Amino acid sequence: MADLLLAYQSLFAFVGINGLLALSVYTTLSCGQLSLANAGFMAIGAYTSALITLRASGVPFIAALAASALLPAIVAVPLGLPVLRLRGVFLAIATVGFGEVVRLFFVNWDYTNGAMGLVAIPQRTQLWTIALALALALFILGRLRGSRAGYALEAIREDETAARTMGIYTTGHKLAMLALGAALAGLAGGLEAHFTFMVAPGGYAFGRVVEMLVQAVVGGTAAFYGPVVGAAFLTLLPEILREAGARLGLAPGPFRLLLNGLILLAVILYLPNGLVSLPSRLRRRSRGVA
Amino acid sequence: MSLARRWSFSLLLLLAAACKDQGSEAPASGGGATIGAALSLTGAAASYGALQRAGIQAGVEQVTGGGGPKLNVLIEDDASTKEQGITVFQKFINRDRVSAILGPTLSNTASAADPLAQQAKVPVLAISNTAPTGITDIGNYIWRDSLTEAQVIPGAFKKAQEKLKFKTAGVLYGNDDVFTKAGYDVMQKALADLAIKVLGTQTFAKPDRDYNAQLTALIGLKPDVLVVSALADNASSIVAQARQRGWTGPILGGNGFNSPAFIKNAGAAAEGVMVGTSWNSLSQDPANQKFLEAMKKGGVNPDQFSAQAYTGVIILAEAIKQAEGKTGREDIVAGLAKVKDLDTPLGKFSFTPGRDAQHEPSVQQVKDGKFQIVQ
Repeated sequence: MADLLLAYQSLFAFVGINGLLALSVYTTLSCGQLSLANAGFMAIGAYTSALITLRASGVPFIAALAASALLPAIVAVPLGLPVLRLRGVFLAIATVGFGEVVRLFFVNWDYTNGAMGLVAIPQRTQLWTIALALALALFILGRLRGSRAGYALEAIREDETAARTMGIYTTGHKLAMLALGAALAGLAGGLEAHFTFMVAPGGYAFGRVVEMLVQAVVGGTAAFYGPVVGAAFLTLLPEILREAGARLGLAPGPFRLLLNGLILLAVILYLPNGLVSLPSRLRRRSRGVA
Repeated sequence: MSLARRWSFSLLLLLAAACKDQGSEAPASGGGATIGAALSLTGAAASYGALQRAGIQAGVEQVTGGGGPKLNVLIEDDASTKEQGITVFQKFINRDRVSAILGPTLSNTASAADPLAQQAKVPVLAISNTAPTGITDIGNYIWRDSLTEAQVIPGAFKKAQEKLKFKTAGVLYGNDDVFTKAGYDVMQKALADLAIKVLGTQTFAKPDRDYNAQLTALIGLKPDVLVVSALADNASSIVAQARQRGWTGPILGGNGFNSPAFIKNAGAAAEGVMVGTSWNSLSQDPANQKFLEAMKKGGVNPDQFSAQAYTGVIILAEAIKQAEGKTGREDIVAGLAKVKDLDTPLGKFSFTPGRDAQHEPSVQQVKDGKFQIVQ
């Protein structure tokens, strides 16, 4: 078992990092806002911490990580003030635009080697650092539920106009969640940069934020831990299929992608409320038809 | 059984199959070496990975058939992502306990995964990474048999200049891709070294499909030659659109042009395009003829990437031979250091002191819908 852990420790690290990213999408979803700026926030966090580690000697890793969470949160405020006036797809489009602007900024910035990015970043992230960050994020989001702010967020999600007439400061709540999501995405970026030895703008393209969104939705956004379940499932699935394929004697190749897609489709079709709804669904089934 | 239950049951089965502890399994016995190959068989670089796989398989058959050491090559897909690249590397290092690793296909993945091999002291032989930094400078366990752009382009441009006698150039490059940006940096330097005046420089991004604005601007400056750094799919559209804009002069390309797909997609527009390459497809060298024959038997149209992958296997076999048949990780590193003037499809192959590839590059030009070597 120790062998297995050693061979797959990076996989568990990616589960944690992807879990943080899925949670960062969930924070804005929890108040009904579809914001897709998180790949951009992740890039800002990753580059910030990587530059601190590479160019400023003697700064402790924890400070670099704190900066990777803080800077995206600060950037999120002036971004959020205008774009959070938009709703639905318009907000999604505006935030996708922001993500692309960030990516293109790093592509054209010679100080960070443009498209080639920063390499030879020392590996400072440990498995426990990621676990701790994830636990902290889950704790914050868990405590939020059932609190005054939590109820306010739910009210905004269900009906923003009604929430405002009830005296809820909707802009402030939405902005706070955008900043929290940005901080989580930035932190995940900082952790990943110090785990994979490199950052390059190509890793923060539109596809990345789609991945986060799919993981959050597949896990289920009804529960605060749903996105982490989804991230774990979708990160482990390709590797499980790799093993299964090897045992069945299949040559590595596109079949894995195909099966991955089919399973994803099945989950979305049969569990529209996400993986977290599986236990209650099973219970209902066994009580009913069985 | 309900549907949901059946699903969860089959998932559990899959999980159980995957989790069965393999720790007790000994590495492949029988005196052979287990080699891991991390290739991009799916994702953005899938077209390169498929040819690399063919090259490696041909190489293994060649080595085994020729009485060389027994090689058990495990091929895994990294899906062109650095995450899966890292996971595959850790599996090779800690679970399969491989003697050496070939790959990964992309330079980006290599910068992320190779440091793990360096830490674990497992030799890596890169077979397609061309990024000038962040590969072999990771440490003394990282080697490569692929020439970098800096080793191919200056020579190619010099030869092209001797043939075409151009004095001015217009440059177009993709600035959002590692490969094409690195290529541009080298081209810029090569042009400056040849005292060629760059009249204008334009950029594009990978998803772009229309290059008319950039091409019109460049052609308007009336340079003697167009210099383009682009990946194969962008390259074919750029060349086709340049010809439509009325450009009849020569075009010099970067490494991204080195693909049969480029000629296929660009069609007649590709005629006359010149590009430097690390593999001379027409070489009459016996090592190259053997390679061509092996690829023909597999029914695969060979290219530079399959030649470099095939050469990777040949080099590892030679390293084991130099280590007197020992297949430990340290033995292979010691063996790699002794590889010198080895006959490969790429030519006489040695490593530089920095563990990079050293062999003669060539220049090829598209004639009658085929790459022909410029003598």
